[in-house]
Amino acid sequence: MRWPMLVAITAASSLVMCAQAAGDFDPHDLSGHWNRTSRFQTFSNVWSGQGPTQGTEEAPFTAAGKARFEKNKPGYGPRAVPPAIGNDPMGTCDPLGIPRLLNTEVISPHQTMEIVQVPGRMIQFFEWHHDWREVFTDGRKLPSTDEVDPNWNGTSIGRWDGDVFVVSSAGFDDRTWLDKFGYPHSENMRLDERYRRRDRDTLELTMILADPETYTRPWVSDTKVFRIDREKSKRWDEQIYCVPTEEYKFNQRVRDVAGGKESKQ
Amino acid sequence: MAHRNSRILSVLAALLATAFSAVAHHGSNVSYHTDQTMTIAGTVTEWEFINPHPQIYFDVKTETGEIAHWAAEVLPTPSMMRNMKVGWTRTTLKPGDQIVLVCNPSRVAGAKACLAKELKINGKDWPMVPGGAAPGAAKGKQ
Repeated sequence: MRWPMLVAITAASSLVMCAQAAGDFDPHDLSGHWNRTSRFQTFSNVWSGQGPTQGTEEAPFTAAGKARFEKNKPGYGPRAVPPAIGNDPMGTCDPLGIPRLLNTEVISPHQTMEIVQVPGRMIQFFEWHHDWREVFTDGRKLPSTDEVDPNWNGTSIGRWDGDVFVVSSAGFDDRTWLDKFGYPHSENMRLDERYRRRDRDTLELTMILADPETYTRPWVSDTKVFRIDREKSKRWDEQIYCVPTEEYKFNQRVRDVAGGKESKQ
Repeated sequence: MAHRNSRILSVLAALLATAFSAVAHHGSNVSYHTDQTMTIAGTVTEWEFINPHPQIYFDVKTETGEIAHWAAEVLPTPSMMRNMKVGWTRTTLKPGDQIVLVCNPSRVAGAKACLAKELKINGKDWPMVPGGAAPGAAKGKQ
């Protein structure tokens, strides 16, 4: 008797949860705090050093792209080196840029990506490194790379394609990485982000990257899944900046010592 | 049923991977022997409760009577430690506090830096991972 009752309760709970998740929502309203819950912190389904390699893909590098990849020395993944001898931009508090802000750090407890929609713009706030980015929705055209200088987060416009919000970006600073594993891009990268609010609590994002200097074909990300965080706005702002003086001191006094460089204590 | 079990296992594996990656530390596996621990006692000289990772600086008296300056980094960020709700603040450690630290040693022989795993401050245990026991709660370690 106990088992049927347990099954019935579980089924009823699942139905309630499904009903809540599928409840009223406007698919064109992306606003709120979102935490990424999907697994991959890489741009796409490449192996990041965790779990089995089966089912993962290889990055479609050009020769130049592969050479740049080899020069990047991350602190994470199968190619990780001690931060003391690495060159991850995060180690010097350089801006992480788009799409790395979307790929890696939007995850509890680094907390969260907030989307705000106002007339003419969609704004994304990222708690990790306390960064933000504007997507213009006022109908302007994406500038050519001759018209804008490269920026850390690129230059972005957005439009609705049915219930999918498409963000198109160009003009990226090539000092940023796609993710924390050292995947590179050139200044001529074009990036499309496709956001879809799957239900009241879930946001999906798929990205398509075109960068012929670095990758032989357009590279499609795995589907990033974000879950809404309604508690975030009830907490005090954490203000997780990356502070260069603190990072420098930490590198000098701990990371360099652990990595075999001479102690500066 | 087997299919359902394998799906449950896959979900669990994914959750574990996510949980691990959430606390994955920048370069920890390559900077430190994460499969080894050492125990070291000393006197606190500084406590930095800041990003990217809190740091404990402490002096250790060597067998020859000399003072060695050590540094230990703590895996969780300050906000993660505060969210443990066991009392971690920027004044939890003060100069002069006596500590016993269990930590992962550096992969560089002789390097006076380690990755903190367990900490006792003036005789009380302080949890360093989410879900750890409250200070002093460990059996008979007041």
